Amino acid sequence: MQGSTRRMGVMTDVHRRFLQLLMTHGVLEEWDVKRLQRHCYKVHDRNATVDKLEDFINNINSVLESLYIEIKRGVTEDDGRPIYALVNLATTSISKMATDFAENELDLFRKALELIIDSETGFASSTNILNLVDQLKGKKMRKKEAEQVLQKFVQSKWLIEKEGEFTLHGRAILEMEQYIRETYPDAVKICNICHSLLIQGQSCETCGIRMHLPCVAKYFQSNAEPRCPHCNDYWPHEIPEVFDPEKQREAGISKSNKKSLRSRQH
Amino acid sequence: MLQKPRNRGRSGGQAERDSDWSRGGNSGASRAGEHARARRDGFAEEAPSTSRGPGGSQGSQGARRSQASPAVGPRTQKQQELKVSELVQFLLIKDQKKIPIKRADILKHVIGDYKDIFPDLLKRAAERLQYVFGYKLVELEPKSNTYILINTLEPVEEDAEVRGDQGTPTTGLLMIVLGLIFMKGNTVKETEVWDFLRRLGVYPTKKHFIFGDPKKLITEDFVRQRYLEYRRIPHTDPVDYEFQWGPRTNLETSKMKVLKFVAKVHNQDPKDWPAQYCEALADEENRARPQPSGSAPSS
Repeated sequence: MQGSTRRMGVMTDVHRRFLQLLMTHGVLEEWDVKRLQRHCYKVHDRNATVDKLEDFINNINSVLESLYIEIKRGVTEDDGRPIYALVNLATTSISKMATDFAENELDLFRKALELIIDSETGFASSTNILNLVDQLKGKKMRKKEAEQVLQKFVQSKWLIEKEGEFTLHGRAILEMEQYIRETYPDAVKICNICHSLLIQGQSCETCGIRMHLPCVAKYFQSNAEPRCPHCNDYWPHEIPEVFDPEKQREAGISKSNKKSLRSRQH
Repeated sequence: MLQKPRNRGRSGGQAERDSDWSRGGNSGASRAGEHARARRDGFAEEAPSTSRGPGGSQGSQGARRSQASPAVGPRTQKQQELKVSELVQFLLIKDQKKIPIKRADILKHVIGDYKDIFPDLLKRAAERLQYVFGYKLVELEPKSNTYILINTLEPVEEDAEVRGDQGTPTTGLLMIVLGLIFMKGNTVKETEVWDFLRRLGVYPTKKHFIFGDPKKLITEDFVRQRYLEYRRIPHTDPVDYEFQWGPRTNLETSKMKVLKFVAKVHNQDPKDWPAQYCEALADEENRARPQPSGSAPSS
């Protein structure tokens, strides 16, 4: 998506207000991003035609380039909803969390992260995470306290909780993909289709390749006999639907919400 | 079992990875920079553009520096840009909490070894903050060595609907208190403040469903954020305190704006308070005149 030499765009108050307000969210869904964009046009430039979101964001990103940050677009791993976050291109650490959490809390996150990456399903159980509290750096933390810290991570959209297990929120993947790939190069799983970091997904039972659920949906769309792209064996899993923003809004409650996401992905 | 993360051979591998803001000991900075570049080429799709021409003055300045302090090594344009980026993000995050930012903290947590070019870095950060984000970096008071960010964009009521947080308290309790202080001649006793707020259903000792703990908000939070000054009145028994506007208030708003707010609340015109209106006008004229110390941060 990014060209290697980009003609530098121009910032106007529309873009600035957009950036300011975007930064108040850790991560934002595409529909809300469009709403935010419309709001900023309304405030500063009522009569102008609203730029296509992709162009609008590319323009801002060409200016942000000099600061080694960008507005990055990703897709939620479970149901393919597009999300946006302002991410750091240069640092390879969990620095964005560092300002809001204490040393032992950050270490708890790191421990949970390692369990998640190491797991087969992309989920780490609450029990397994809490069993590691004795190993944390910094001030001693009791299990009860750790439970609350995990909830803090869920509320600030770094983790998702599902039936007592934790996985990474889309936000964490957007922000930390580079860090994770560099820090755990041997343990990370990669999607066979999009080649990005994979935490949750489906895997071929024969050859072991993995695919994100939204990547599966797109790849096998209207394919009556889905087969593994690598070994051609029959693909044994249920093929999810491709995310359709119109359908989701009409339906009100999306299918993913019914799949017991306790914290609504945003 | 999860393999231990591979040491990437950078100076202070584990510490480097764990430390976040405090990358101060940049003795391996140039090596780290090269490593970072090499790593990033492996993930080409995420690589920011590094196709910049050789830095002009920065490049030669870096070369000069390397001769003066060989331990640090030359600083490439990219390293400086990364520092500016760190500084911008540091200032944004600190200001989000409405804590005035001390120069000492900036030097400790961000600048580190780059102390010799701190004024230049700060100037560039200020320029980026203004151009990209619409924030002006100003010194809270001349020579205080503390900074805040002033929003050059006017907040709009509808912003509240699209924000992810509560925003700055430019309306609500703070504005009411600021208004009261101004209308009462720029100083007001704490007892007067509570007499006034009681009429609005806000009490120092009672939890408020919107403001939470109003006493803490007014006597601690707003004071720490430098919106208010809170001073003990000597020789009072029982002890009483007085409120005045703090330095941040003078930078973020104005007497005229506050008067307009008060007028709006009463459904009247600012001119209905001639004394305050005159004072507000004089303040406007003062602001229009170019400031001697300037708002751009000096070294």
